[in-house]
Amino acid sequence: MNIVIRKCLLAAVLTVLAAFLTTGCATEHRFIKKTAFKDTNQIVIEFAGPVDEAWAKNPSHYSVYEKPDPDIKLKIQTITLSPDRKTVALTFADPLNQNQPHVLTATGITSEGKSLGTAILSVKKVYLGYLFSILIGAMIINNFVFTKYLGLCVFFGTSQKKSTAVGMGITFTIVIVVSAMMAWFLYQFVLRPYRLNFLQIVVFIGLVSLSVQAVDTILRKVNPMLFKAFGVYLVLVIANCIIIAVPLILADNEYNALESLMLALGAGLGFLIALFLMSSVRERLELARVPPTYRGLPIAFVVAGLFALAFLGFSGMSIF
Amino acid sequence: MPATTKTNFQLVSNGILNENPIFRLALSMCPAVGISTTVMNGLMLGIAVLFVQVFSSCTIAAIKNYIHPRIRIPTYTLTIATWVTVIDLVLAAYVPAAYKEMGIFVKLIVAFAIITMRLETFACKNTVSASFWDGIGMGFGFMFGMVALGFVRELLGMGTLLGYDVLGFRPLLFFVLPAAGFFCVGIMMAVFNYVEIVYNRKKRAR
Amino acid sequence: MKQIIRITVGLTISCLIAALVMGSVFVITDKAKRHNEHVNVQQTMLGLLGYSTSHPAPPELKLYSIYRYIFTDGNVNTLGYVLPVLKGGGVGYQLMEMDLDGGFVAQHPLDLAPEDASESAERSAALRKAIKPPKTFSYADATIVAKLGEKRLAYLLPGEFPGFKTFIHVMLALDPSFEILGLEITEQEEDPGLGAEIKQDYFKNQFKGKSFKKIKELHVVKEPLPEEYKAYLESQKGKESPIPKAELDVIRSRYQDRDIYALTGATISSKAVTDGVKNMVAKFAYRINRLDKVISARNIPAVF
Repeated sequence: MNIVIRKCLLAAVLTVLAAFLTTGCATEHRFIKKTAFKDTNQIVIEFAGPVDEAWAKNPSHYSVYEKPDPDIKLKIQTITLSPDRKTVALTFADPLNQNQPHVLTATGITSEGKSLGTAILSVKKVYLGYLFSILIGAMIINNFVFTKYLGLCVFFGTSQKKSTAVGMGITFTIVIVVSAMMAWFLYQFVLRPYRLNFLQIVVFIGLVSLSVQAVDTILRKVNPMLFKAFGVYLVLVIANCIIIAVPLILADNEYNALESLMLALGAGLGFLIALFLMSSVRERLELARVPPTYRGLPIAFVVAGLFALAFLGFSGMSIF
Repeated sequence: MPATTKTNFQLVSNGILNENPIFRLALSMCPAVGISTTVMNGLMLGIAVLFVQVFSSCTIAAIKNYIHPRIRIPTYTLTIATWVTVIDLVLAAYVPAAYKEMGIFVKLIVAFAIITMRLETFACKNTVSASFWDGIGMGFGFMFGMVALGFVRELLGMGTLLGYDVLGFRPLLFFVLPAAGFFCVGIMMAVFNYVEIVYNRKKRAR
Repeated sequence: MKQIIRITVGLTISCLIAALVMGSVFVITDKAKRHNEHVNVQQTMLGLLGYSTSHPAPPELKLYSIYRYIFTDGNVNTLGYVLPVLKGGGVGYQLMEMDLDGGFVAQHPLDLAPEDASESAERSAALRKAIKPPKTFSYADATIVAKLGEKRLAYLLPGEFPGFKTFIHVMLALDPSFEILGLEITEQEEDPGLGAEIKQDYFKNQFKGKSFKKIKELHVVKEPLPEEYKAYLESQKGKESPIPKAELDVIRSRYQDRDIYALTGATISSKAVTDGVKNMVAKFAYRINRLDKVISARNIPAVF
């Protein structure tokens, strides 16, 4: 029974996610259903009803610019109208910089002889896709352990056994999400407005200790079983530099709340993945014949180096 | 651990060799892997860590009798964070170029296990002067580790030392690549282990 | 109970002391930091113009900064330029508003002293006084015009664009006909040994001397950098070069109109820099022409 419910939930979440990812953004004009980028140099506008061909095919009715550069209009090369006259595709002379939101102005839209006024639309990449890319980015592409070389002390300390690795990974993920969100809040609403940026380090480390203490207390009271399993790792969390690096990165990049959540979650899960991978190898290393000088940490470092080389292959990848 | 009976010289050499933070205690590995690509980086971060270690050790040793045991750890954290902030601001103001190279790692000194560990095991039980020498030893030990790694990686990877062209060509670009940091640290640790094994064998033979 | 009070008092005192230490260090270093940053930027700019300690800049050389803002009023955007102008024998600042098609809208005097103009907070304060509330403004970019005596020597453009890992910050120098005088990478976090090589002479000097026409269709080619070209590129740094001058000129003319040779193992970084530079030059040339037209049409006493 439980499993069925869980599966249903998972399916529901995935469908919502997929729906978000496939649809473009909703627009501000009632006659226009959506706008989206297509290929490298196209913007597609979908209307609610058929538009007049004479209007649609005239390039002077459209003006498109990148949001930060309103004075530089992009050159439209060709305009194609779909047979049902509901979709217009604008093809541009140069590839579009799709990381920037674009602003599209369509003047005097006419549909079956009626004028429907002017629409100012923003064309941007799907936001959920962007969030997802932050998550995957922090988790795999810019994995904190293998590509940023952070959190190594704890990483090597707790990757000897799979069970320890998973326990540490989960505890760490919880604590990092809690502390990163608090840090984000404090930074955005206290440190930055009052120009106290230089207190970053003290405030962030304080928050981390605080959240470790909080998770410790809550877990002890609410679920002693879980505390027994994960309590030992809580102390180690504070010695992990990732937990202090994430708030610093958030502060540097001026992420908003959702983006911060994704980065923190990605960092935690990435650490979990790294620990799990490493512990799988190290369990086998126990049985291998390693030269005495390399036994223990040195060989673990070499293995981590191989992982890092493998993860180098992910770098530069971009999703969405 | 009771108050130390070691001389100042022993305290310093202990930090550099027997209890080298990077190769023997295996603490503070992140910068050792992350930014040891050049000697200069290693030197700069080494100086920063030396500063924080010495000042934190002295501070804690000086006020150890006034710290309530219940708030020992928060006090340590606060002390370290304060000195890290100080060195962070100073480096950012006076050596901006080197500071940019080190990126986030200066701020991350606050999470280095080595500093907290020395406060907990040494500074809170010893006098200010002993803590000072211990801090110097640990700081130089860290700096030595970083510079040694930087030396190997810069020489083999870029063919330069401290930015000066020494070899005139690049033997193995691989060593400068980020992932090679792991290999270098692993190999260096193995070298330290080897020396220890040989040393012990000789001692036993005697 | 007594214990709690002791702990609280102890913690408060240590926090106060820590705050005192950090605060005073911040106050002391902040000024030095700004000063050093300013000096650094200044040095980068002079370096791009070909001046160094052994070949100092002449006293007639003046650098003027123009700041561009975007004003938004409902759905209408306009451009606002904070321009250095002649004011009673000295230099003052003026705000000139321009519509998106290059037409003049309005001009306002600004209460901004020349030495404060480089501080963004001071500029914002002056702008807030000059424009009416429903209109909001956001900072876009800055351009520095280098003037030697009466004639424009160069434009210096600070800029940034996404690289392989994070943003790459650069400073670009153009001569009045938009030919590239030099490129300096001021900040980058690419991979050491691979993408970080963009800051090496043999990559960034390839941009030097590219004409405006060539920049428009500049590409990156994945070919090994020819040895003689590499030697030429590395000889630029004022050091005694082993290659005779006549030969240098031959090599320069040979490679003048070539594309940019990509760095080994870092094609994406090379392409990011090339595209970024291309973009900066195209946008800047478009804007400065419009700005100059308005300035001469309205007889604004601009100093640059």
